Amino acid sequence: MSALVSVAALAPFVALLGAVINGAFGRQLKEPLPGIIGSVAVGIGFALSLLAFLALLFSDVTSVSVPLWSYLEAGGLELELGFVIDHLSVLMMLIITGVGLLIHIYSVGYMHGDPGFSRYFMGLNLFVAAMLLLVMGDSFVLIFLGWEGVGVCSYLLIGFWYRERLNADAARKAFIVNRIGDVGFLLAMFLTFKTFGTLDIAAVNEAAGELVFGSAVLGVIGLLYLLAACGKSAQLPLQVWLPDAMAGPTPVSALIHAATMVTAGVYLIARAAPLFAQTPAASEIVAWVGALTAIVAAVSALAQTDIKKVLAYSTVSQLGYMFVAVGVGAYWAGIFHLFTHAFFKALLFLNAGSVIHALGGEQDMNKMGGLGKKMKITGRTSLIATLAIAGVPFLAGFFSKDAILASSLNSELIGSGVGLYLVLLFTAVLTAFYMFRWYYRVFAGAPRLDKKVAAKVHESPTVMTRPLVILAGFSVFAGYLGLPEFAFPNWIAHWLEPALETSVSFRHPSAATEWLLIFVSIAAVALGLGLGYYVYHLKGGALAKRYGSTAPARLARQGLGFDALYRAVFVRPGEGTASGLAVLDKDLVDRGITGSFTTVGLLAQFTGRLQTGFVRSYALLMLAGLVLLVIAVVLFGGLS
Amino acid sequence: MFTFFLLAGVMIVGALGVITLKEPVHAALSLVGTLLTLAITYVTLQAHFLAAIQVIVYAGAIMVLFLFVIMLLNVQSEPAAPQLSWLRPAAYITGLVAVVALVATIVATRQPLPDAATITATLRGGGADAIGEALFNQFVLAFQLVGVLLLTGIIGAVSLVQRRALEAEQAGSSRSQPSRELTDVSS
Amino acid sequence: MVPTEYYVALSAIIFVIGAVGVLTRRSAIMIFLSVELMLNAANLSLVAYARQWAAAGAEVALSGQAAVFIILAIAAAEVAVGLGILVAIFRYRSSTDVDALSQVRL
Repeated sequence: MSALVSVAALAPFVALLGAVINGAFGRQLKEPLPGIIGSVAVGIGFALSLLAFLALLFSDVTSVSVPLWSYLEAGGLELELGFVIDHLSVLMMLIITGVGLLIHIYSVGYMHGDPGFSRYFMGLNLFVAAMLLLVMGDSFVLIFLGWEGVGVCSYLLIGFWYRERLNADAARKAFIVNRIGDVGFLLAMFLTFKTFGTLDIAAVNEAAGELVFGSAVLGVIGLLYLLAACGKSAQLPLQVWLPDAMAGPTPVSALIHAATMVTAGVYLIARAAPLFAQTPAASEIVAWVGALTAIVAAVSALAQTDIKKVLAYSTVSQLGYMFVAVGVGAYWAGIFHLFTHAFFKALLFLNAGSVIHALGGEQDMNKMGGLGKKMKITGRTSLIATLAIAGVPFLAGFFSKDAILASSLNSELIGSGVGLYLVLLFTAVLTAFYMFRWYYRVFAGAPRLDKKVAAKVHESPTVMTRPLVILAGFSVFAGYLGLPEFAFPNWIAHWLEPALETSVSFRHPSAATEWLLIFVSIAAVALGLGLGYYVYHLKGGALAKRYGSTAPARLARQGLGFDALYRAVFVRPGEGTASGLAVLDKDLVDRGITGSFTTVGLLAQFTGRLQTGFVRSYALLMLAGLVLLVIAVVLFGGLS
Repeated sequence: MFTFFLLAGVMIVGALGVITLKEPVHAALSLVGTLLTLAITYVTLQAHFLAAIQVIVYAGAIMVLFLFVIMLLNVQSEPAAPQLSWLRPAAYITGLVAVVALVATIVATRQPLPDAATITATLRGGGADAIGEALFNQFVLAFQLVGVLLLTGIIGAVSLVQRRALEAEQAGSSRSQPSRELTDVSS
Repeated sequence: MVPTEYYVALSAIIFVIGAVGVLTRRSAIMIFLSVELMLNAANLSLVAYARQWAAAGAEVALSGQAAVFIILAIAAAEVAVGLGILVAIFRYRSSTDVDALSQVRL
């Protein structure tokens, strides 16, 4: 069985091969071919992952290590690279390759006619390879390798249309903000190695369990990993890059900036679960970072006018939920929400892409509306995804979100569970509200389209709509893998148990209380949706018009001013220092250099005089030299 | 001793004449005088064969070549130098310093002469036989190389002087090429 | 007998006169003549030293005179080539002024 599982280790290399083929020969290939190559590569990866999943499902084996090669040996440092395929990583592999496959197929239609068609698929395949490396790595080093790999791919794909300055700027911003997190990752690795003498995750987790509960060094390591996770997963205070990352092609936003890469931070913390479970202080900070991010992003999402930016802030907000989950010790709930979120958020982005595609590149929601009638599949799948993310009962988001809410209240790892619960509950109201707004402004209500555009609106081709339908199916049913534990079987929590084994315990309130909590969250969703209906539908959206351009709305539209704050605190002083240094460089360093070559120049002018070009002057110099030599010999040579 | 000073005086005057006389022919003749005096000096130094070839080759052949070229080119006395006017005084000063330095060195390294008998026995009057023995034993390779050098010199000199003529001929023939076709029949 | 130093000193004087001639004359022919002076000055000291080293045996002593012989031959070759060059330059520029040749081209 384990041999069958270890075959899945080929998956990243297959994706890499696809990237190499597209990178090397893509320009020579005719249009759909690079897309087919890319899709087939990811498809093979999906098949391998599925095989590994089934093999693990029907056997007692819970974890298979696939050693690759010895990367480095220096002193006490031995870096053995290898994959670990266990219940957690195989689930991630399924998400990455499964959603990745659908998005690859969708992209064949979406990127049709783009001059960078093959470059796009090269980037996408490379991303899948790096992401697989990240989730399969058995040591922090290999995870870091994948971590950097996905960062580079993210940079390349955000700046895919690099000819426009705005896109290139967004790509740079994403990269730089991610680098800040990466510094945290590196420092965390250094400290991990210093503390445990190894970077192998299993060994570190085991050793962490033996350390004193709540020891300071574990807390510091945890916080450094949190910094890394904040960078990659766009959590406060490093969330600013994700909304700008929407500059990339929409399928890229769906795959990288919604379904997979941004969840790497959650995955990292879940991977190091035993370590975090030993340090409640760091865990509590993780949870609060998540909660604050969730509400800040949700507020920002309320006022966005760009169809993709709403979704971007929504992603940040949902990632906040996942952080709360892994912060309170409900690691399975974090992964569960990651799992369901991957489907409905990818679906939302692909729907947005479908709309943008239909409107010829228009992204402003003020120029949409009523599209549901003309784009039936897109409209209906969007409705499903909207309801799923809002947390409407019996759809995927409902179960995963509710699991997080319940865990935050019941966790014994941290002390401030009630506060977290309330923040998340309020965020749930906001989520339902802004998602209703998003759906209503795009697909329902009166059309606000330009007439020229309106005439051309059409449903997207089959190659794009099929993935939408499949994702919609998952958005409905994925949640049934993790039904509330107190009354129903919870498959996913048990599935993940061997991989996320920790000592975190949860209170078990009575079934009546549990039911009450469920009804409270249903009420929250209903409140949010009702509020949306009231504001945007009743009286033709008069309320929305009245408050849409007030100061709080503008502040929310600008992401609560984080960009302006960072600009004032970091960028301005940085620019000031740079220009100061430039002056220093010009006045001091350059002067020094100019001075040195002026000196050489003067010297050359003097010696140049000697080079008259007249043979006789050279002869004189020769004779003079000879005479000096004779005199020197007479005076110092010691003759006789 | 008197002979030496007489010869030295004539030689120095002759040498000064070479570098001061304006007319190239005069200077060349002054050089001939100097070289002849040098030949006599060689005799006083027991180098009879060298004295002979000094007269024959230098004062004879080489100087004739010089005079021939001077007359061929019809070199006039040189005009006053517009540039490098500083060079002449500088050269005189350097020369003076050089003479003082050299003579001082020479005087400082005075060494006694071997007696006359030894000199006569060793040099054998510097005759052709004595030099011939040295040349064909110790210096046989140098002698051969000098032969090659002379051959090269002859060829070089001929080609240097000849080349212009050749080029001129070629230029002339290429210019006359169109007409050659016409004249071909007749030739 | 006249000591060797006298001859060598005379040779030095002639040599320097030749060198000054090279420096002060501008016609290539005159420079040539001066160079001949310098060569002969060197020859004179060689012959003088040949006599000085008589006590060291014929091989040593006569090598001085043999060297003079070789120098004579080389001087002949040099004059032949040098005058050939001179004629070539003169044909090209109608002048033997070396100052006119301050650019390294004809």
